[in-house]
Amino acid sequence: MFKDKKQTVMSHTSSNQTIIAQGVRVEGDFRSQGDVVIDGEVAGSVETQSSLHVGETAKIHADVKAANAVIAGEVQGNIFVQETLELMSTSDVKGDIVTSTISVAAGAQLNGHISMDQSAVSSRPKTTKQDEEEQA
Amino acid sequence: MYCYLYDEFIQENKRFERELLKIENRLTDLGIAGKVSRLALFRNAQEMIRDEIGRGVSTVVVLGNDETVRKVIDVVADSDAVLGIIPVGPNNELARMMGIPEGVEACEVLSARRVEKIDIGIVNGRRFLTKVSMPHFHAEMTCEDTFRVTAVARQANLEIRNLANLSNPRDGRFEAVITAAVKNGWGFFGRTSMKESVFPLTSMAIRSDKPISLFVDGEEMISTRFDIGIEPLVLKVITGKERVF
Repeated sequence: MFKDKKQTVMSHTSSNQTIIAQGVRVEGDFRSQGDVVIDGEVAGSVETQSSLHVGETAKIHADVKAANAVIAGEVQGNIFVQETLELMSTSDVKGDIVTSTISVAAGAQLNGHISMDQSAVSSRPKTTKQDEEEQA
Repeated sequence: MYCYLYDEFIQENKRFERELLKIENRLTDLGIAGKVSRLALFRNAQEMIRDEIGRGVSTVVVLGNDETVRKVIDVVADSDAVLGIIPVGPNNELARMMGIPEGVEACEVLSARRVEKIDIGIVNGRRFLTKVSMPHFHAEMTCEDTFRVTAVARQANLEIRNLANLSNPRDGRFEAVITAAVKNGWGFFGRTSMKESVFPLTSMAIRSDKPISLFVDGEEMISTRFDIGIEPLVLKVITGKERVF
């Protein structure tokens, strides 16, 4: 009756899903081919070929690369998303963003450049920022 | 050719006499009876099975529990033989996960001979089938030589799962699961909840300044460093329809 619902869901995740929950810190270059859920702390870089979900309690000090991403926590670093990026109302992003489609909820904190150039999707965020400055 | 390995505890305990008789009769009826090897105090299970495989045994069937399976797993994994289990007595979690019913009903599963290849985990050269656990995890974990994981919570446990809790033992990976106690809220009103982190990995290392304990399939190992890996699809096992993977 008093079982943590979230934990029950976690126990039934697919074998390729990575979950970095509260109480855990990851440092270094984290790469995954499956979905990634982050509620804990990450420093370094995060890269996944699938979806990334950054929870409200997450603290990420890293460049982030994913196919799709939903961000509700704190990210300090550049974000590179191939398809859709969703910034929730609790998100706090300090860094540049490159994506194809973006959705920003009211209340989201965002400090950085956003590039939605389709050709930039295959390049890194830093390069995109330089391009933008040159164009200006 | 079948070889049946009887564990010591089922020979000594009269409680299992009738069950063993039923099993032997059913195996004969199904036409899969074979040579019987009996474990005893000063007889090495691994040597016995190695000799039998050398004589042409293709299927090693263990009559006993998880502990009995652990005694032969190294030899069977190193050979081309298939492992079967007839669970007798308590502590048969492994057989349950493989979908093998207890006692005489297991004979039907053996006869159907549904063979699956599964991964085996390895810790400092020692193989494990189900899981490795560390009750008080405060060491540093280096995963795939690329990133480090540490528990920042005051209380955390580590489990490395191969064939346990819905992890897939055929994906060439094990799952490192850290369960951390996290307090949400302040002071008296704060509530502690358990949060589970899951990392699917092929290799990892645990390092500590002080010697730490790791329980490999229930048996304790103490060291300051543990290197953990996986051997994909090396063990052939007979499984039932009710298997969990």
